[in-house]
Amino acid sequence: MLRHFYRCALRLHPPEFRRRFSAEMLLIYDHSTGRFSSLRLILDAFVSLARQGILRPEFWLRTSPASAPRAFDGIPSFSSLDPFRPHTSAMIHGTVVSIALFCVTCFAIRYSWIHVLQIHIPEVQFESPRWVPSSPGTGASAHQLSVSPIRMQPPLASTSFGSPLSQKQLPAATATEAARRTGTPSGKGAFKSNKSVETTPTLATLPNPVTGTEEHLAFTQAPLSALERRRVIGEAITHLRRYYIYPAAARRMAESLRKHEQNGDDDSASAGSAFASLLTTQLRAVSHDRHLGISYSQSAIPEGATGPTPEAIMHYRQEMERTNCGFEKVVLLSHYIGYVKLNSFPDLQLCRSTVEAAMTSLNQADAIIFDLRDNHGGSPEMVAFVASYLFDHPTHLEDFYNRSENTTLPSWTLSPIEGNQLANKPAFVLTSAETFSGGEEFAYDLKMLKRATVVGETTAGAAHMVRQRRIDAHFRLRVPDTRPINPVSKTNWEGTGVTPDVRVNAAQALATAEWLAEKLPNK
Amino acid sequence: MAADFDYLPLSPATLHILLSLAGEDLHGYGIMQEIARHSDGKYKVGPGTLYDNLQKLMDREWVEELGCRKSDDDPRRRYYRLTAAGRGVLAAETARLAGVVREARSRLQMAKPRRA
Repeated sequence: MLRHFYRCALRLHPPEFRRRFSAEMLLIYDHSTGRFSSLRLILDAFVSLARQGILRPEFWLRTSPASAPRAFDGIPSFSSLDPFRPHTSAMIHGTVVSIALFCVTCFAIRYSWIHVLQIHIPEVQFESPRWVPSSPGTGASAHQLSVSPIRMQPPLASTSFGSPLSQKQLPAATATEAARRTGTPSGKGAFKSNKSVETTPTLATLPNPVTGTEEHLAFTQAPLSALERRRVIGEAITHLRRYYIYPAAARRMAESLRKHEQNGDDDSASAGSAFASLLTTQLRAVSHDRHLGISYSQSAIPEGATGPTPEAIMHYRQEMERTNCGFEKVVLLSHYIGYVKLNSFPDLQLCRSTVEAAMTSLNQADAIIFDLRDNHGGSPEMVAFVASYLFDHPTHLEDFYNRSENTTLPSWTLSPIEGNQLANKPAFVLTSAETFSGGEEFAYDLKMLKRATVVGETTAGAAHMVRQRRIDAHFRLRVPDTRPINPVSKTNWEGTGVTPDVRVNAAQALATAEWLAEKLPNK
Repeated sequence: MAADFDYLPLSPATLHILLSLAGEDLHGYGIMQEIARHSDGKYKVGPGTLYDNLQKLMDREWVEELGCRKSDDDPRRRYYRLTAAGRGVLAAETARLAGVVREARSRLQMAKPRRA
C-alpha cells in the first residue's frame, strides 16, 4: 500500500526526471526496512516533488523520448507512464471492460426514461426486410444499411409535416383521406380544397429533425462529378423557384447555390450524402428554414413512383405499435390532473383508436397537461384531432396556404367528440426548444385561442409543411410549399417559435404546470 | 553556460555526492550509503535530494551515467561516475575549504587565552 503511494508520488514528477530515476528510487524504497523508513521516503518524495515544481520549472518542459508518442509510418502508437509494457492479459481485460462499459452506457442512454442527455442514437436496421447476399452475375451486393431516427414522422400523412402518399399505396386510407384528396368535404373540419396529388416516394427512412437530411449508410458511394453536381443544383433551383413558399427567398437561395458552385465550395463533396448535406447547409444559411433540405438515397428512386413502398408502410406500422403511436405516458396525476406525454402526431387513420383510448382514460380529470417537450411534429390532421378533445364545437385552428397551387386548406377540430368530458377543462401545453413543427402548431393554436396555457421554453420555430420532390435517381428535395396562417394572429411561428405564457426551463415545466393546475379556482 | 568554478561554494549535498563518487563508481543507493559512511552518519540525503542533485550534476557534466552493470543482480541499478570536470570542481572546492579551515584554525589559536 505504502509502496503504491510512493509510486504515485514518483509519477507526479516531471517526465524526464521520472524516466531517469523513478526505477532507481523505487529500488531504494524496496531496500528500505521498517514502516518509519517507508514513511520517511514518501515524505522525501513529496519534498522532491515540491522542489521540482517550485525550483525546477524548466524540467517540466523537457519531453521524455520514452513517453512521447511516436508514429511509425503514420501509425499512431500509445505510451505508458511505466517504463515497461503492460501484460497482454491486462490489455485484453482492458479492451473487454472498455467495450462492455461502452455498450452499457449506450444502452442506458437509449432506454433510460429519464432523458437527461439529449443524445440522438440512431437505430440501425436493414432497409431490405432480409439480408440479400450478392450472387454471381448480380454485380454489387444488394445489401445496404439505413439509419432512421428514433422519432419518426408519419409517412402516411400527405399534406403534413410529413410526406404525401398515393391512395393506391394505402388501401387502408379512409374516406376522410380520400375526400380530402379529391376535394370533397367530408364532415365538419375536413379539408375542402382541391389539392392535386403530386407525390414523390416516401420511405421509412425519414428526415432527421435536426439536420433535415435522410441519413443513409452505404458501403459504397460513387463519387459525383462536377457535371452531376451542377445538374442536381440546377434541378433543385427549378423546384425551389416553382414550389418554395417564399419566391424571394427561393431566388436568394438559387443565387447562393450558384455562387457556392462557382466558388468551388462544392468540389470537396464528392460523396452523395456529403453533397446533400452541404447543399442543405447552404440552403438553410439563406432561408433559416429547418424543414428545407436535400437528401441522398443510395438505392435508386424510381421515376414517377408514388407513395411509400409496402415495406415502408409495414415498418411504420410496426414502429407505431412499438412506440404506442407516440404516447409515451398517459396517466392521471394527483389532484385529478390528466397527463399526456405525446412525442409525435402520427397518422390519424393508423392511430385514431389509440388517441381515443388515451383521451377517454382521462375523462375524469379536472385539468389536462399535454407534454410536447419531445414532440417533433407529424400530421396536422392528428393535431386537429387531438385538439378536438378540448372543444365542444368545431373550431377553426389554422389555414394552410400553398403557394404554387394558390390554395388554402382550413383546418378545423372534429369537435364535439362523443363521450368526451374534457372540452371545458383547463389545459396546459408543455414546450421546450426541441418542440418542433406539428408540436408547435398544437401549442400555437391553443394559445391563440386562449384555450391552453403554454408552459416551458420557446419552441424551435419551424412552421412550414414540406413535400418531397425527386431531383434524380438518388437526390430528393424536401421543399416547404405550404405555410400555416393562424386565423387569430394572421401569421405563424416560423423563425420565432411559440413563446410560452409561463416561461420556465423545460425540466421544470411539468412541476410548474402541475402547481398551476392545483391552484385553479374551480378545483 | 556558467563556468564550473562559478558554482563554488558547493551545497553540502553536491559536495558529499561528488566526494562519494571520487573513490569509485557507485549507484544511487551506494552513494547514499557512502555519504552516510564518510560523514559518520551525521549527514544523510534522501532519494529525492540525491537524484535532483544528480540530474543537476549530469546537466553540468560533472557526473556521467554509466547505465547498469551486467554483473549486478538488479538491472534497475544505474551507476554514476565523476568526470574530469567534476573532479576539478571537487578539487577546487576542497582547496577552498582547506583555506577556510586554515583560516579558521589560525583565528581560533589567536583567540585562545595565553598564560602570562
